[in-house]
Amino acid sequence: MIRSIVSALAAAACVAAAAIVSPAPPCAAQQLDVQEFTLDNGMKFLLYPRTEEPNIIAAGWLAKVGSVNERPGITGISHFFEHMMFKGTNTIGTKDAAKDKEFRAKQKAVRDELMKLQLGEQYKRYKAGEIDDPWNPANDTPKMRELRGELAKLMREQLDITQKNEFDRVYTSMGASGMNAFTSEDVTFYFINVPANKFELWAWMESDRLTNSVFREFYAERDVVHEERRLRTESTPTGVFQEQFEAMFWMSSPYHWPVIGWTSDLNSYTMEQAADYYDIYYRPNNLVGVIVGDFRPEEIKPLISRYFSRLERGPREVPPVVTLEMPQMAEQRMNAEGDFQPQIEVRYKAVPFRHADSYPLEVMAQVLNGRTGRLYKTMIDGKKIASSARASLDIRKYGGAFSFEAETKGEASPADLENAWYEELARLQKEPVPEQELQKVKNQFAANTYRRLTSNFFIMVQLGMAENMGGWQELNDGPRKIQAVTAADVQRVANRYFDRKNRSVATYVRASGTDSKEDPELAKLGETMGPMVKQGIKRQLAQLAKETDAGKLRQGLAQMEERKAQAPAQMQPVLEYMAKKVQERIAELEKSGKGGGQ
Amino acid sequence: MIGSVRRVAVGLVAAVSLSGAWGASARPASSDIPARPEKIEFRPLRFEPPKAADFRSVLSTGTPVYMAQSKEVPLVTVIFTFRGGSYLNPKDKLGLASMTGALMRRGGTVSVPAQDLDEKFDFLAAQVNTSIGEASATASINCLKSNFDEAFGLFVDMVRNPGFQSDKTEVYRAEVLEQMKQRNDNADGLLNREWSRLLYGEDHFESAVPTKAMVESITQADMQAFHRRIFHPGNLIIGVVGDFEPADMKARLEKALSGWAAGEKIPLPPAPTHELKPGVYAVEKDIPQGKVYIGMRGLKRGDPDEIAIDVMNDILGGGGFTSRIMNRVRTEGGLAYSAGSRFSFGPYYPGEFRALFQSKSSTVALAAKYVFDEVAAIQSKPVSAEELETAKNQFIDTFPRRFESKRGIVSTFIDDEWTGRPADWWATYRDKVRAVTAEDVQRVAKKHLDPAKMAFLIVGRWDEIAKGDVDGKASMKEFFGGQVTKLPLRDPMTQQPLPAKQ
Repeated sequence: MIRSIVSALAAAACVAAAAIVSPAPPCAAQQLDVQEFTLDNGMKFLLYPRTEEPNIIAAGWLAKVGSVNERPGITGISHFFEHMMFKGTNTIGTKDAAKDKEFRAKQKAVRDELMKLQLGEQYKRYKAGEIDDPWNPANDTPKMRELRGELAKLMREQLDITQKNEFDRVYTSMGASGMNAFTSEDVTFYFINVPANKFELWAWMESDRLTNSVFREFYAERDVVHEERRLRTESTPTGVFQEQFEAMFWMSSPYHWPVIGWTSDLNSYTMEQAADYYDIYYRPNNLVGVIVGDFRPEEIKPLISRYFSRLERGPREVPPVVTLEMPQMAEQRMNAEGDFQPQIEVRYKAVPFRHADSYPLEVMAQVLNGRTGRLYKTMIDGKKIASSARASLDIRKYGGAFSFEAETKGEASPADLENAWYEELARLQKEPVPEQELQKVKNQFAANTYRRLTSNFFIMVQLGMAENMGGWQELNDGPRKIQAVTAADVQRVANRYFDRKNRSVATYVRASGTDSKEDPELAKLGETMGPMVKQGIKRQLAQLAKETDAGKLRQGLAQMEERKAQAPAQMQPVLEYMAKKVQERIAELEKSGKGGGQ
Repeated sequence: MIGSVRRVAVGLVAAVSLSGAWGASARPASSDIPARPEKIEFRPLRFEPPKAADFRSVLSTGTPVYMAQSKEVPLVTVIFTFRGGSYLNPKDKLGLASMTGALMRRGGTVSVPAQDLDEKFDFLAAQVNTSIGEASATASINCLKSNFDEAFGLFVDMVRNPGFQSDKTEVYRAEVLEQMKQRNDNADGLLNREWSRLLYGEDHFESAVPTKAMVESITQADMQAFHRRIFHPGNLIIGVVGDFEPADMKARLEKALSGWAAGEKIPLPPAPTHELKPGVYAVEKDIPQGKVYIGMRGLKRGDPDEIAIDVMNDILGGGGFTSRIMNRVRTEGGLAYSAGSRFSFGPYYPGEFRALFQSKSSTVALAAKYVFDEVAAIQSKPVSAEELETAKNQFIDTFPRRFESKRGIVSTFIDDEWTGRPADWWATYRDKVRAVTAEDVQRVAKKHLDPAKMAFLIVGRWDEIAKGDVDGKASMKEFFGGQVTKLPLRDPMTQQPLPAKQ
């Protein structure tokens, strides 16, 4: 049942705004009436009956584990688990469970031997510079090749008794749809839609894979994950750079490594590591089920009990995430070159889930966003230096980040966008956001509170995500806290989190040679000095083109000569180039009769 | 762990619950869990698809309206749909349709400046969108019930009297040009553009790509004329979903449309005349994977084989993890993250069959070989009873999902009316699926798939791809006599071919 209540605070704010402009939306906060239900083994369920989509139930469960729980050597294993969980159990996915077990044991033995050589001999050869990549099968020693052949043979033979993708087939043939899962830094979430009469099917299938999983195709599946990595990270214009930026941004926090994992780790997970991980994180005391849709709680609770009570509480407590992000002591920068629109990201360490400052930061991002937001008005409409610009707050379980991202327009450079951003920021730091602008943003939050509650599936995902980070109640509490944010709050957080040494900057420019109109001399400088220097020169050239006072330029030229005498040798070509350009500009102005100074 | 004792107990429980009423009392909360999911007894689920007539009414302008109430949240959505789209673009002004669609929302109205309109919509927290696609145009608003009148009034003014304000036009034009510069950056974009050219030829609207010169030539008068032609009540179907009263809403719609004259009838999108030339085509792009489409022309909606083909393609490559291509390429081969096929039925002219995957350079040929193997297999042997049943059940049991939301119901009926789908299509849909046999599947695979007539397009590093895999299982020599047509990269702004990089 959904009931709506009007937050007194929000209502007061609306009345105030209504006096200024036309009728404001009612700032009501939607309340979800979720039933909690916890089994003796510690598995918690969130039930939210909803009949607006008749005959359908969105059902999911999450493991409170993601890449943040990993360590070097096994990065990406949470995501790899997500793949493994669809490979079946002793019941689902095989024609002969006993034989299947034998195959797995044999494969493990061969694979362990291979891995010993891989991490021993091959790593040694790699470190000695004898081979360029210890993981490339082309560099295999004869013994390794033999073992790899043996492993491949065992995997082929196992396929004969494997019921491929049976897990999916059972669901599909009974009318379930949209089966999938995702892994993030903080959570692994498995979900599906089932017809309303088949909730028990979900209970059977999910409790089976949580008690009975065997990690079938443990070695073959990592090829698929490698392809996923190539697809998502390596074949997209900015994928590899974003990965590098993320790793630079988070220094000590385990958010440092990518969810999909580093390549070497992905190659080397062992069955023991997997079993160990499973024993800690895939136990009922670390799991939450979320059910949204057309059901009666008293109907499904007995089924949940019957099926999920067979899960056994873990032998160990789930270890807490200990490592906090260290305070950043200096600005960090990354300059990427490639095939993409020149763009920039300026990112700041912010706050985790439910931190009191997360609400004003959220409001601040919204003040900046949208077609009536500040970024659009100043950078896209006003200065016309950006083709897109946005601010975002990335809230995670153990930390957060606030980002400004924009793409250039015309001749503008990432540096222009960066400067324009600092101007915007300074405005937020100096002046409180005007009442009407703040109210506009709050009205949008209020309406969105309704909009996000209009689909079983998205309600399920939001409940699960909030519960994983600290409590599903945030879905009810958050909107009220947003409505309570004041202009002073926004100004305070703008001053608190956005200083220079707390920021990391990524600039993206087209690889040299892709800009056809460029002065060849400048292109050459770019090659020797790097893209940032080149962008800096371009910026100065743009200013130079606007300068109409030849006298001022002559003064500047004299200063440049002085500086040139003290500048290090590698900067000489840049200064010479600039001096030449200034002289050219002076000559141009003199020719057009503007050379007379004042 | 489940012990064997529980497995033995299962058959008994199933038998009991067959006769007893479904529910907690019929099945004691014991530890009885069936050995296999197929043994669970489910209560029947009855579902009859909604009928269009129950949602449809007609305004005095002759404009059809589909309304579906939902009181869950105090929001109202109104969707105006029009026939027309990029197929109406003049040949030298490609990009006009999408620019008109974007500027209707961004360019204010004749009497309200763009800035004011944006501020008002945003303050009212109304979500307003306009767009003109390939074959249809849409204007929609989603707003709070409490301020519907004001927001909807502004919306109607925008749809009827858009301002196409010039400064906003220039900002948008610049955005389009920036996007255009990035055309060759993304491999998927390259793949899709070249695929459309192979399938539809250079001069059909499906493959038409605007150039910088064309986008620069579009004027306010062009947009006004394009708008006038498409946006009128004689070319409109309206959908309303959410928290409203039907009689009251109808009166508001009448008022919104009053005094708006109907224009001329819009022609249907033209069919392509191009004949696909079979063979291997490659575009060079420095990425570690080859991205691949393999396919040919499909069929038009209403073909007698439509449902049998849906079932066939589901088994071949459309059914995700239960399909053969996914099983072979991903599950067995570990060669791709996503792999599959689709067979589309165009509402106005034939759609296409397309298999797709992406794999590291060295295994592109091997994965393609598997795809062609699977096409041959589904043509040469009847599918298994189990596969057939899985596919058919999937269509039958997920059928209610099309109508699960009010928005889905209204969208389906609007689309049906535009495209002229027979009135009994949904009522008999599940029976049509039930009637498909293994023989049908084989017959339609033979009749409508022909590997010799397919195009095989790859974006990636050709030299690595051509060689094939380390073990020598497959190379590109195996396809179409080892011949390849190298497609040039094109200048992103002019679409003129660029010289190959050395």
